[in-house]
Amino acid sequence: MPLFLIQFAQQHEEFRLPELEALATIENVQMTYEPSAYSLESPFLIVEIESAEKAALLLNRAILVKTIIELWGQGSSWDELIERVKEHPERWPQYLQTSFKFLVVTFGGTIEMKDKPAIINRFAFTGFMGKIDLKNPEEEFQLIADYGIDPNVHVAHTFYMGRLVGHGKRELIDKFNVKKRKYIGNTTMDAELSLIMANQALCGPGKLVYDPFVGTGSFLMTCAHFGAMTVGSDIDGRQIRGKGKASIQSNCEQYDLKGRVLDALVFDVCHAPWRRFKGGLFDAIVTDPPYGVRAGAKTLGRKDVTKQATEPRMAVNEGVFAHTLPDYVPPTKPYEMSEVVADLLMFAVKNLTRGGRLVYWLPTVTEDYTIDDLPTHPCMELVANCEQAFGQWSRRLITMEKVADWDGETGLGLPTGNMNKSTTGPKSQGHFGFRDRYFAFSIVENARRKKELKEAFAKGGAEGVAACMRAFEEKKKLEQQMKELQLQEQS
Amino acid sequence: MLQCHVKGCNANNFPLELQEVVLEQEEAEMNEDFLRNMLTKIEYDALVATCLKLDINDLPAAIPADAAYNDEFLQILHRVILETHIKSGKMVCPNCQHNYIIRDGIPNMLLAEHEV
Repeated sequence: MPLFLIQFAQQHEEFRLPELEALATIENVQMTYEPSAYSLESPFLIVEIESAEKAALLLNRAILVKTIIELWGQGSSWDELIERVKEHPERWPQYLQTSFKFLVVTFGGTIEMKDKPAIINRFAFTGFMGKIDLKNPEEEFQLIADYGIDPNVHVAHTFYMGRLVGHGKRELIDKFNVKKRKYIGNTTMDAELSLIMANQALCGPGKLVYDPFVGTGSFLMTCAHFGAMTVGSDIDGRQIRGKGKASIQSNCEQYDLKGRVLDALVFDVCHAPWRRFKGGLFDAIVTDPPYGVRAGAKTLGRKDVTKQATEPRMAVNEGVFAHTLPDYVPPTKPYEMSEVVADLLMFAVKNLTRGGRLVYWLPTVTEDYTIDDLPTHPCMELVANCEQAFGQWSRRLITMEKVADWDGETGLGLPTGNMNKSTTGPKSQGHFGFRDRYFAFSIVENARRKKELKEAFAKGGAEGVAACMRAFEEKKKLEQQMKELQLQEQS
Repeated sequence: MLQCHVKGCNANNFPLELQEVVLEQEEAEMNEDFLRNMLTKIEYDALVATCLKLDINDLPAAIPADAAYNDEFLQILHRVILETHIKSGKMVCPNCQHNYIIRDGIPNMLLAEHEV
């Protein structure tokens, strides 16, 4: 089978292979590769696919794939590469007359503009006679030099040559850019990850996709973009309604997805009014449960159960039941992260179709996380578990597939992490009590700074403190610059 | 697709009865795959009964045997479930009489404190 070289984006590295696998499933493409050849530290992966036409299918909606080329050869130098390419002259004749261009691509290093023509000219042996067209060539041939990610290495270690099959759909990241979106909230998921999630969920025409913590509706948009019909719910109706002209509905209009984003309803997923359908109602559940940092998860009921009413309450001074008033808002209580995740999985077991997928974010304290933290169920198989790290904490995109019908009884598998808050116990789940522990990080950070300032004062008095403050500022600036630099590189 | 979920309300809680509704028609692209997917998931009798109460009487009383490829039927189904929107109104549980209010096209399915 022919070989193809995939060039991924060098970011969200853990998400790349799972997305590629999802794309192969969606497009029904048989693909094989050597797992040990894949590294998070390299954007390149060689795969075997039946044909270039099939390989092109993988690009239809790829977010983390930049390009795929039909691989004509590789080597550890330009000389060796040329030798390899020369071994297959039978590939050349069909491109003798087409318009074409050669592009020199580098990763982790640079080749100066003035040196590129000489490199390209070394491939004149292919004998292409078609018109050279730099803007709209019928075929593009790439010469790739890979220097690796180590910035101290100034010599390329691998060279590739191939015919461009096509580009991924990274422009969608810009289309769904939250900065250009009319209605967003403070927990709106960034466009790239929202799109990747839609791929992980195998969203496509004919499918019904549900987000039980819909917020401002990011996933309704990206999943609908790939053809699915989407519906969402949230316990907080204000997010759905939005403000003035900005709402989930206005976002649907902005992206021209009105016919596919079916509805957004207000309810608590713990008390969901979905009619149970035996074969499962939803083809996918895609969600980002609120983990309490910027918006806490809530569920209906009162924190103090003794105060929970069991009979209708009368409204003060109205002479009617409180819950019949138009602006009635029922009381809510905090919803612990470990409960949210457990309930979500059980909801998926009951309401997904067979083969349907649950795709959700799990925030965890890095130090405490182990794979055992994930709630399990015999009907659900773990497909992918990708980490996005933020230092002391991270969030993981969990993809599960429903592989068996629910018998109507079996509950979640025993969580192996200790559910008790007790710190003397063996271990708590990495996401247990996430909110409190997230804020504990900033308290620790603050205490550390105070200590440093105190020491600075003891050593150098007021000037020492000022110097220390400047150092903090410098560090902050540097971190900011790094972030911006990363963003620039990404775009 | 929705039923009453008030605590203890387990029988005769479907379909919710639509009352005082304001409807809106809006064109949507035809999506036969989706309609076919939904054919098995919709309680067809409930759909017909609900439509009749709203004076929408285009749907045949029984689901055609060839529904999956009956163009005419799929077209009607498309118009009813994807192009007809409820702008406002309420859904009332036939059993416990809970009123679920629909405002700006968004149904409020929240339960009151004593209902959870």
